[in-house]
Amino acid sequence: MISPALKEAFAPLRLMLQDRLAVVGLIVLTMIFCMALFAPMIASQDPFAINEDEDGSVLLRTDDGWLLQPSLGQVALNDTASRAGEDLIVGRQGSLWTRTADNWERVDLPVIADLNGVAMTDTGSAIIVGGDGALLLRTGTDWEVVTTDQTVALNSVAWVDDETALIVGQDETILRFDVTDKSLSPLNSPLGRGMTLNAVAKDVDGTVLVVGERGVAMRYDPASDAVELVRLGSSRTLEDLHIASSGTALAIGERGTLIRRDGPDGKWTVDKTPDSRGLMAGWIDDAGRGYAVGRNGIIMERAPEQDWILASTESERHLRTILVNDAGAIALGSDKFVVRFASPSAAHWFGTDHLGRDLFSRSMYGSRIALLVGFLGATLVMIIGTNVGLVAGFYRGKTDTILMRTVDVMYGIPFEPFALILVLLFTPSLGIVILAVSLLTWRTTARLIRAQVLSLRERPFIKAARVAGASDLRIMYLHILPNVMPLVFLELAITVGVAIIAEATLSFLGLGPPQSVSWGGILHDARLSGAWRTAWWWNLPPGIFIMMTVLSVFFISRSLELVANPRLRARR
Amino acid sequence: MRNSGYLIRRFLQALLALFIIATLLFFLFRLGLPDPTTVLVSEGLSPEQREDVRRQFGLDLPLWNQYLIFLQNTLTGDFGTSFHYRAPVSEIIWERLGNTLVLMLAAIFVSYGIGVPLGAWLSWRRGSSVDSWGIFFGLMFRSAPMFWTGMISILIFGVWLEWLPTSGMRTLPYEATGFWDKILTLDFLRHLILPAMIVALFYLGSPLLIMRNTMLEVYGEDFIEMARAKGLQERSVLFRHAARNALLPVVTQLAVTIGLAAGGQVVVEVVFSWPGLGREILNAVRTSDFPLAQACFLIMATFVIFLNLLVDILYSTLDPRVRLS
Repeated sequence: MISPALKEAFAPLRLMLQDRLAVVGLIVLTMIFCMALFAPMIASQDPFAINEDEDGSVLLRTDDGWLLQPSLGQVALNDTASRAGEDLIVGRQGSLWTRTADNWERVDLPVIADLNGVAMTDTGSAIIVGGDGALLLRTGTDWEVVTTDQTVALNSVAWVDDETALIVGQDETILRFDVTDKSLSPLNSPLGRGMTLNAVAKDVDGTVLVVGERGVAMRYDPASDAVELVRLGSSRTLEDLHIASSGTALAIGERGTLIRRDGPDGKWTVDKTPDSRGLMAGWIDDAGRGYAVGRNGIIMERAPEQDWILASTESERHLRTILVNDAGAIALGSDKFVVRFASPSAAHWFGTDHLGRDLFSRSMYGSRIALLVGFLGATLVMIIGTNVGLVAGFYRGKTDTILMRTVDVMYGIPFEPFALILVLLFTPSLGIVILAVSLLTWRTTARLIRAQVLSLRERPFIKAARVAGASDLRIMYLHILPNVMPLVFLELAITVGVAIIAEATLSFLGLGPPQSVSWGGILHDARLSGAWRTAWWWNLPPGIFIMMTVLSVFFISRSLELVANPRLRARR
Repeated sequence: MRNSGYLIRRFLQALLALFIIATLLFFLFRLGLPDPTTVLVSEGLSPEQREDVRRQFGLDLPLWNQYLIFLQNTLTGDFGTSFHYRAPVSEIIWERLGNTLVLMLAAIFVSYGIGVPLGAWLSWRRGSSVDSWGIFFGLMFRSAPMFWTGMISILIFGVWLEWLPTSGMRTLPYEATGFWDKILTLDFLRHLILPAMIVALFYLGSPLLIMRNTMLEVYGEDFIEMARAKGLQERSVLFRHAARNALLPVVTQLAVTIGLAAGGQVVVEVVFSWPGLGREILNAVRTSDFPLAQACFLIMATFVIFLNLLVDILYSTLDPRVRLS
């Protein structure tokens, strides 16, 4: 008794394979299924992972703001020094670049430590300091590594005269470096509290100014070879210090701290800051024109006698240093920054979104919810719809009227607002989405099945079964049901498509389960962030995936239609 | 009029369905949604003031009392005052309904105007590559969610090419004395094009495929053989004899589609910021604006239920073989 029914149920498969569009649909759907099953393997990363990149970023100041230039590799750049015709740029992991005119050149150094500071004289002698007490010296054209007994990170260096330089670093390390005999002599810090010293610069009166953690400031006097404490009027950590040739000076630091001195005898005053994020480097000239750069792509500019203003920048990278010469100004970076709105590349095939998440991985994982809701929802719809249709069509009369008027009521309820009510009533979850989809979709199925059952129940074989004493249930499920099976399968396929679109719609309206990855959700993020009007790559893939999935299901349903309705089969 | 008894019975059943929907929604809103005073009124409101607002809205009465007042008012066509807009619901609703209908009817007109003849043509060329491509494109636009095609169309025609406006019904600011004054302008037409096209493309597949499939069924009928045997031209057979008889399911589908049109396409209205009923109902539910939400739901349900009833009646009128029972 069972096997003919089963045979009947599998008949569609044979017919489907004769239809070209259906075969295409089957192949595409299989691919989407594989995508869902093997999402962790196909996806290049966790769909929730926030991408952060370190980058040798260069931003050039132009009339249209600070624009991103080709990157200098994958490590952050920390400090710069310049003289006429040559610039030196040092960065993490022993990277050194020289720049002559617009020509950048990488110099190979035999160190792997992070290089933090560089200083150069007009004659071209240069010193680089870095992590783990790294120290490099260039007197002619070649760099040589000076071995030191220091283990702390050295942060900054400045020339005192042509033979001597002052180096500062962690733990209040202050070192006088004698170039001629390459000797290092530690100087006593007047504070002795283990503060990190971040920057050093030579003042116009021949002394050297040092700044560091919590607003610590010191002055080194070469005449007495001693260091004494001074006050700049801030207790914020200072990160960088720049003193122009005639004595105008700028110290910058955390939380947008800007401390300025007009002329060699001026007082240090704290300037009003336009942003409270951390600043990493600053530059000022004697006229009072200045720049300060910091985290999240913050660049502040100052015209003489004006307040500091935020400049427009192309990127949100964490800028670390600034290089200003006659040719113009460039800001350099960057520590690990969130790769937001990245356009498609080898690393991120579909780009990244507003939180720096990989859209390719999210699209792969999105197939899971689409298929889950699509097939689970459609199955639920079929179970409800087929049974209601069977019962209504078979019993007719009052039962039929009640069930069909219930269907009318369901038709009268619009989908999206109803789903919103469900979400507000309970909490958004996958179950609610499936419930919303199935509660309002079974109505069509019930109607169609009922119409079919109405005509079937008058057929002679049903009458024969009744005469033979078959019960109502037996007639309904063993005699009528197998005959409406082609229609059920057809409706199932169409409903899968409808359910996938319905799920995408709910997720798009922000009613989907929170903390889940779905195609509609990706488009929801895109619309909410407002950036989709420029980030075109954000919109395309999820929509194409939805379309492909639903289309493949519709192709399959079309061939099922041929099963349900033989008159549609192509003749000749 | 031998069927008048049936018609009256169906009409009464439709009214009953509406009554059930109204009751269902009334209690669902009041028991399920958050209190309107918490959503509507901003912070800094004393408990006394909140009680005041509740009394104003009539929310202080017992639930059954509120229900009776609601039924009484609805029967007299009074939908009450919107909590959110503090204005009569009927005013808001008729305007939104007009906005939605003008968009949806334009879209339905375009999709059926193109879909029906195209479907007939595809059936005539059945099995050819034209047929396959026609089906492919019809189904493709039926498979793409409208919020996505809408966003893409905004990106292409609004942002990149800057040909068409992408949001709202008119360029702001504008002055219009009434509904017709608002929509009988070139500016409105430019705003209408994108959303209407998106909805039309989505709808196109259904008249196209229904027409094609019904035509294929009709080709097998004896009277087509007869027409061919009479020596009539193929074109004449196609449009005079086959198409007329194949129109019935299309008309049915058209009526159902128009019935659902009142609800609009929520996502299209959201993406294009179209001030229609669909967007309004979402906002009303979100802000627990009970009177407005109830009225929106009721209007939509009325449209659907009565057009579905109309479909049943049409069916028997257009096709004498179907007997009303």
